[in-house]
Amino acid sequence: MAVITISRGSYSRGKEVAEQVAVRLGYACISREVLLDASKRFNIPEVKLIRAIHDAPGVLDRFGHDRRVYIACIRSALIQRIRRDNVVYHGLAGHFLLEGVSHVLKVRIISDMDSRIRAEAAREHINLEKARALLLKDDQERRKWAQALYGKDPWDSSLYDLVIKIQKLGVEDAVDFICQAAAKRQFCATGASQQRLDDLHLACRVKTAIVEIDANAGVTSEYGNVLVYTQAGERTVRRLRKRIQSLSTEYSDINNLEIRTGPVPSGAV
Amino acid sequence: MEPLTTEMILVMAMIGVAVFLFVVEWVRVDVVAILMMVALPLLHLVSPKEAFVGFSSNAVISIIAVIIIGAGLDKTGIINKLVAPIMRLAGGSASRVVVFISLTVALISSFMQNIGAAALFLPAIQRISKSVKIPISRLLMPVGFSAILGGTVTLVGCSPLILLNDLLAPFHLEPFGLFDVTPIGLALVATGIACFIVLGRFILPQKPAETADDESLPEIPAALKEMGDMYELHTPADFTDYRDPVRVDDLRRRYLVNTVALTEPPDYKLISPPPETEIRSDIDIVVRGRLSDVKRMAQKEGMELKDRLQFFQNDVTAENAGTVEAVVAPRSALEGKTLNQVNLQDRFRVTPLAIYRQGQTYRAEIGDLKLSVGDAILIYGKWSRLKVLQQERSLLFTTPIDVETLRPEKALLAGLWLLTALTMIMIFHIQLSVSLMTGALGMVITRVLSIDEAYQSVDWRTIFLLAGLIPLGIATQNTGTAAWIAHAVLKTIGTVSPVVLLTVIGILSTIFTLVISNVGATVLLVPLVVNMAMAAHADPRMAALVVGLATSNSFLLPTHQVNALYMGPGGYRSIDFMRAGLVISALFIVVMIGMIYLIYGI
Repeated sequence: MAVITISRGSYSRGKEVAEQVAVRLGYACISREVLLDASKRFNIPEVKLIRAIHDAPGVLDRFGHDRRVYIACIRSALIQRIRRDNVVYHGLAGHFLLEGVSHVLKVRIISDMDSRIRAEAAREHINLEKARALLLKDDQERRKWAQALYGKDPWDSSLYDLVIKIQKLGVEDAVDFICQAAAKRQFCATGASQQRLDDLHLACRVKTAIVEIDANAGVTSEYGNVLVYTQAGERTVRRLRKRIQSLSTEYSDINNLEIRTGPVPSGAV
Repeated sequence: MEPLTTEMILVMAMIGVAVFLFVVEWVRVDVVAILMMVALPLLHLVSPKEAFVGFSSNAVISIIAVIIIGAGLDKTGIINKLVAPIMRLAGGSASRVVVFISLTVALISSFMQNIGAAALFLPAIQRISKSVKIPISRLLMPVGFSAILGGTVTLVGCSPLILLNDLLAPFHLEPFGLFDVTPIGLALVATGIACFIVLGRFILPQKPAETADDESLPEIPAALKEMGDMYELHTPADFTDYRDPVRVDDLRRRYLVNTVALTEPPDYKLISPPPETEIRSDIDIVVRGRLSDVKRMAQKEGMELKDRLQFFQNDVTAENAGTVEAVVAPRSALEGKTLNQVNLQDRFRVTPLAIYRQGQTYRAEIGDLKLSVGDAILIYGKWSRLKVLQQERSLLFTTPIDVETLRPEKALLAGLWLLTALTMIMIFHIQLSVSLMTGALGMVITRVLSIDEAYQSVDWRTIFLLAGLIPLGIATQNTGTAAWIAHAVLKTIGTVSPVVLLTVIGILSTIFTLVISNVGATVLLVPLVVNMAMAAHADPRMAALVVGLATSNSFLLPTHQVNALYMGPGGYRSIDFMRAGLVISALFIVVMIGMIYLIYGI
């Protein structure tokens, strides 16, 4: 069975689609739960997590590491959830957070600009011009966020398996398409993709454990062989070494743990 | 009796200094020998020419030649074949290995020079030590002592006994037959071996295999152990069914296990397979890794882990292949490249196992690490392949490639040259050193081994130790010190029972043979003790026999040729010889006197 992430633009009715897909397939539907999990597990106020994953980084924030810490926590919580399989996630950034897992069906639901402006104007009781400005600003924020953290544009359709525009096609149609796609063999969990998820889960846990020491460190894991990439100085590396020594005993699924100094590879958490 | 001269006192002082330095080991034993070589002519105790005469002595040249012949035989694999039946009989038991090799060496030694037998067996013993993982220090000393003791089994076993009849002739005493000494010699050999079996753990140095063997084995980096061991596994018949292909590289990435050999159906053995090689069904693979990783792999991939190497038993062991540490050299072409780019596996058919950088061991995804100068790479491969890599000179090998390529095609030639040397000695009675050097030269000319290999095979510590002690013996004899001591001792004891007299002669001969050569001691002592025995109404033949035998009782110091030869490779210190030698020397005298008493009824 599959894991479905639904990335939704504002006023795209993506939430509705996600919920109906979950009901039809009998999957769990999660969104905010992930943030709550992360908030509880790592003792971070939810609002900070929302800000980390929603707003684009400011000038100062770009140099701070709080955002990376929070995202590491959210990712860890999300993977913990979807390891159970049969999940529809319609929260933020699912397609980024689950990159590299083959049995994740990545869906993007969008809506045309005019209907979005009308919906925004009606909800916020503002004129169309203002609504357009607000929406453009919001979209821009998302773009900047994705660019800053992942160097990718969420509007790039090649990031998704399925992009559905809700206009002529309704929610029902979208649900049909998604359910049909989810049943495909390609989206069934295999031993290898499950292993990849386990590895991602382990990498996230290691990352959250070391993120306080070096927020820019990248972590990869393959079959429990964890590599921590850092470009930090000698002192930080020493602290990292000390920390990961204790990690090897804390996490039984770590087979081998090494630190590499040098650039962080693209696939690293 | 001559009065005690200053020269005699000086010689005794020098002997005292030498023994003292042997014991305290402020400098190595061969340096002590060089010290003697220099000090004796400076003190005018020997002439400058005599000081270095040791280097041209028959004994030292013979030893050099025998070592070269031994190395030549070893290079052709003859020694391996010779050792195989002994190993089959002995199994993995250290005691049995000691008994079988000691008996073989003693047997050979009873008909040829002790040092010859000892030198010929040195490579074999080193191989055995490696293959059965018995520290070489536990093997060499018992075998060396047996070689010396074996010399007492027949009248042609060692130089003093060969001389004995000639020395008896002036006194018109009945000469000894070839096998007259055999019962005594056999008892001595048996006592020596039994002593090491029973008391070995107390009298032999207890060192782990690596430290004792550091002269003959490459240094094993401590972290090499981190890389784990070799394990052989078998893939099931349905290994490739319903799954993505599993490649050599996958096993490495997933389990940090390096595949060093596998079979290509039907039974082609591939050593250091390239990373993209697919692991097929129903094949044997040999991996290098930690047991926990290998077990994890066997369980997850459904492979059968064998309890020992079976199919590849002879292919991946130290004889043919091994692990070396190679450092990225300054200005090396590898600098800044990754192992994936360099592709050692495809180009050289070797397997990189790990990279060390600044005290850290990297095992995972080493193919992506950019190499920098000073990085050490652990590489596994066939020796022949590693040599090719070494010749490329982009990597500096810190571990020497210890096992040379064998040249089995030269075995016949090597055997022929040994036979030639033996024929020259036994049939044509040509001097030992000339005959043996002919054999050694023949091996070099017929390319059994190169002249460089011949030079490398000679342990110069042994040569300097022996050559340096020869002038000490010359000084002891020339100045009359030896004769003075002998006279003084025999005069002091006065008239005693024959058993006591023979015991004293035995002890005196033992002490003399430690300092002056066994031949020198025999020539000096035999006339003396024959006269003494006649005066004391003891059997003069037995007194001469005691000298002939007890001059082989040279175990306390590494001054006997065999002990000097084995000292370096065995990693022994003088104190090791003293501890074991004291026991064996005491037993030697007791057994010798006891056997003479039993057989000849003195």
